[in-house]
Amino acid sequence: MATKVLIAEDEKNIVESLSFILKREGYEVSAIFDGGLVLDSLKSSPPDIVILDVMLPQVNGFEILKQLRGTPQIAKLPVIVITAKGQAQDRSTAANLGADVFMSKPFSNKDIVAEVRRLTTV
Amino acid sequence: MARAPIGLKLRERRKALGVTQTALAAKVGVSPSYLNLIESEKRNIGGSLLKRLAGELGIRMEELDGAADRRLIDDLGEIATSPTFQNLKVSPQSASELVGRHPDWARALTVLYRTYMDRDQTVIALADRLNQDPFLAAAVHRMLTNVSAIRSASEILESIPDIEPDQRERFHSILLTESDQLSSVAEGLAAFFDKGVAPTRSISPNEEVDDFLQEHQSYFPELESAADALSASLQLEEHSVISTLSELIEQRYGVTISQSAKGSHLNGPSQGPNEAVSNDNRLILSDAVPGPTRRFVLARAAAELALAEPIKEIVDKAGVLTTGEARRRATRVLSSYCAAAMLLPYDRFLEQAISLRYDIERLRHSFDVSLEQICHRLITLRKPGAEGIPLAFMRVDPSGYVSKRYTLPGLPIPRYGGACPLWPVYRAFQTPGVVNCSLAAFPNNDRFLFIACAVEKGASAFGQHRPLLSIMLACEAIYADQTVYGGSLNFAAKDQALAVGPTCRLCTREDCAHRQEDLIVAT
Repeated sequence: MATKVLIAEDEKNIVESLSFILKREGYEVSAIFDGGLVLDSLKSSPPDIVILDVMLPQVNGFEILKQLRGTPQIAKLPVIVITAKGQAQDRSTAANLGADVFMSKPFSNKDIVAEVRRLTTV
Repeated sequence: MARAPIGLKLRERRKALGVTQTALAAKVGVSPSYLNLIESEKRNIGGSLLKRLAGELGIRMEELDGAADRRLIDDLGEIATSPTFQNLKVSPQSASELVGRHPDWARALTVLYRTYMDRDQTVIALADRLNQDPFLAAAVHRMLTNVSAIRSASEILESIPDIEPDQRERFHSILLTESDQLSSVAEGLAAFFDKGVAPTRSISPNEEVDDFLQEHQSYFPELESAADALSASLQLEEHSVISTLSELIEQRYGVTISQSAKGSHLNGPSQGPNEAVSNDNRLILSDAVPGPTRRFVLARAAAELALAEPIKEIVDKAGVLTTGEARRRATRVLSSYCAAAMLLPYDRFLEQAISLRYDIERLRHSFDVSLEQICHRLITLRKPGAEGIPLAFMRVDPSGYVSKRYTLPGLPIPRYGGACPLWPVYRAFQTPGVVNCSLAAFPNNDRFLFIACAVEKGASAFGQHRPLLSIMLACEAIYADQTVYGGSLNFAAKDQALAVGPTCRLCTREDCAHRQEDLIVAT
């Protein structure tokens, strides 16, 4: 069965490119554009990994990550945080909240695919 | 109200006409010595004598006792008390003489000062704009997002030769759309910088000290160690802090500690915890200040004496402290830091803060210090590997003057008054002594927990003004559940966060009913 990737990102063009490249690598990809819908989606159909943008509408990525880590059924999901906020404080906040990887925009497809592969390969 | 300098005007006019005091006195029927007293502003003058003098000297009555002059004197009085002229010790009383003798220069000075203040405000606004401008922050975010999409699509086109034609077309379209948006953002940025915004930096001593603390993240490991060592050598125990520190100050350093009469310090400039060891080796403690403040004052005096060297070393190394006054203030702040480190030892305080879930009132009772000292100590908990919650700090007086600030990324605490009027730091004045907390949402969706309380500062007594200050801590919403305050707030209900902004002039909530000033930035 294909590994499921959820992309939580409100920039449709970024989602489209990431989805394309990940699907070509054999992943099953879904996307959510609104931060307020992410947690419910994760709980109802948990993916194998989440690519999570920080600046999402309604609820930001850090708040989602915090609640995700506090929800037993999805607490252990690997999470890649992506952001255009590259400040050191954001990097440390992401680490403190339990992000597996923190990537600043603009990132390369190769790097993000490599991280997805690394985090989902047992 | 200021008195118009009638006598001086008469004298200037008489001299200009080349008339002697004796001659003029004779003409108006008074003695030369009485005229001399009038001209020296030592006698009030009015009625028919004033009319006779004005007539003889050819001055219109309204020129002599004009409201304009009194306003000018009031303006000059205000200028004299400006912090800008603090070191010049300009006497507000001499304003009347200046207006009397040199009215043109007096007017020129007020115009110059007003122009300077206007420019100063503009500089502050522009500096704020550059540092906190939502337009700039949004533009940079937009650019990085566009570049990210372009990079991703172009990598696909470059690295996948067998891509389907419709897919190829789609990614070409993404490149076109995103690069078009990027051009617009770049044009907007160019227009922004065309407006001549230049980076500026204020040079007031307080701001230099703020910058200094910010640079060190409000944490000084050398002083923590020095304070711990001093406490250990004194075998400082909670129940005997006052006697142990008094003994150190008096016996080892020969400083005389004396008590001021009850209430005698209430109106003086050194009320409350501002006492310091004077040059003649005296420390005067007002007996009207509360016990926790007395403990703190003694601890700070002990630090000033016993830890002067490590404090001086840090201050001397601080490039950001460019003036003697800033270095003096920083020395004072670091002495207070050491006092806090002695009374609230780092590891024990952190453990208690975590165990009491940052309840500032319970912490205050637990350590017998003031609420402000607790809040201050909380922001210093930045020891690598043993950190507390990252907190911002703000202290304002009822006029809105910001006397202390320590910021966090994303939380723009203004250097000068006029943060968003909805911040609880202002509301706290309505209920002194009561801790107010709110979950606040900024226009960019960043959310912070605000904890504020108005406290009485220093001493007060019956019939005296109660000096109140409002103190506020703030942390990112993600840390709120580690605090006792997080429990009472509904974090899941996104709409229930209090919609706030930074300051009106930087806030993009254009329809806010509390707006006091227009937005100065592009939206």
